[in-house]
Amino acid sequence: MTGIYKNLRKDFLVEFRNRSAVNISFAFAVITTMSISLVAGGTSFEPHIHAILIWMIIFFSGMNGLAHTFIREEDEKNALFLRLAYSPEDIFISKLLFNIIFFTGIISVICPLYLFFLQARPLIPQLFIATAFSGGLAIASITTILGAMVSKAGGKGSLFTVLSFPLILPVMWVSITNTALSIEGAESANYRNVLFLIAFSGIIACISYLLFRYIWVE
Amino acid sequence: MIKIGADSITKRFGEHLLFRNLAFSAESGESFYITGANGSGKSTLLQILAGIQRPYSGHVTWEKNNVTIIPDDYLKYSGFTGPQVNPYEMLTALENIEFVSGPDVDLHNVNELLERFGIYKERNRQVKFFSSGMKQRLRIINAIINDPPVIFLDEPGSNLDVEGKAILYSFIENLKPGKIIFIATNEPDEIKLCSRGIVLDDRYL
Repeated sequence: MTGIYKNLRKDFLVEFRNRSAVNISFAFAVITTMSISLVAGGTSFEPHIHAILIWMIIFFSGMNGLAHTFIREEDEKNALFLRLAYSPEDIFISKLLFNIIFFTGIISVICPLYLFFLQARPLIPQLFIATAFSGGLAIASITTILGAMVSKAGGKGSLFTVLSFPLILPVMWVSITNTALSIEGAESANYRNVLFLIAFSGIIACISYLLFRYIWVE
Repeated sequence: MIKIGADSITKRFGEHLLFRNLAFSAESGESFYITGANGSGKSTLLQILAGIQRPYSGHVTWEKNNVTIIPDDYLKYSGFTGPQVNPYEMLTALENIEFVSGPDVDLHNVNELLERFGIYKERNRQVKFFSSGMKQRLRIINAIINDPPVIFLDEPGSNLDVEGKAILYSFIENLKPGKIIFIATNEPDEIKLCSRGIVLDDRYL
């Protein structure tokens, strides 16, 4: 636990002082939301259009920042220093927690901004919130392990986005569908998809935990 | 008492053979140098001994009081420093040391080492503002802060000024009893610190 806490604290300190990933992700989120709002000019969108737009903003905001936690370790040549200090398991859990917290923060900014500027009103707000955070949890789980793989492969940006697409696709599909239902207030709306997203996150996190050592250690 | 043995160690990267059939051992109280031409594999051999890299063939064994230590646990018994081991530039020197410190380390130990290596006054400064020599001093502190029984030093004197080298060599002399120290270096003064060693040359190709 001490190792996980110390790693998490270190990541937050470095990110807070560096602010590169945070700034890029939040700037992207805010600018994109504002741009859509300006272009829409008061036009009313269908619930599924709102859902697609929200998740596109969330997805690309996340892609900018979520792989950064591992890629930064390689870019700034800290990976060996980190590896010498802590076990692969502690490192993985701390990075996963960091990404979950970071992405939750991004979603907490994007959703209210979007709903306010585009005048969208979810008729089932609890389902909307639950979908937003469970979808974010799933994306954070996927991007943590893929970020580790991409960092070791020496790849950047586009490689990460390409690799993540097949895993993120079902998450996006379910999240967009459920978000549309929550905005629409459809009778068929339920929490089964939220459970799916949480279960998906759990499975990805468990498999990643088991495999991470083989990615991290030569 | 810890004993580290290397048996028929070979390392290649693809078609390129770095070295072949290295065999030696060291135990507590000994200091061992690894020297050779640039690109001969000094750093790689050091990392293989520390369990950071795997050999192409052969094996490394660690024993503590005649009980085998598994490779996953090597780092628990050792401290490692080298040009590739970089502290976090956005953290201060003190924060970097605290990051790697185990539960047995207290602030007194930390301050003592900072004073000894001449960077106590800079302890609350971010490492990005450090000179290369100061970073090297910090690297060495990070490697020894937990008082490990095995210490791996890859070019420890690089970037150090005369005073820094004097501090380092004196510190290594004091560390020797009871520890195994491996030094990968081409510096004659660092080779002299060791009781014996290996030269990576054509004999191992």
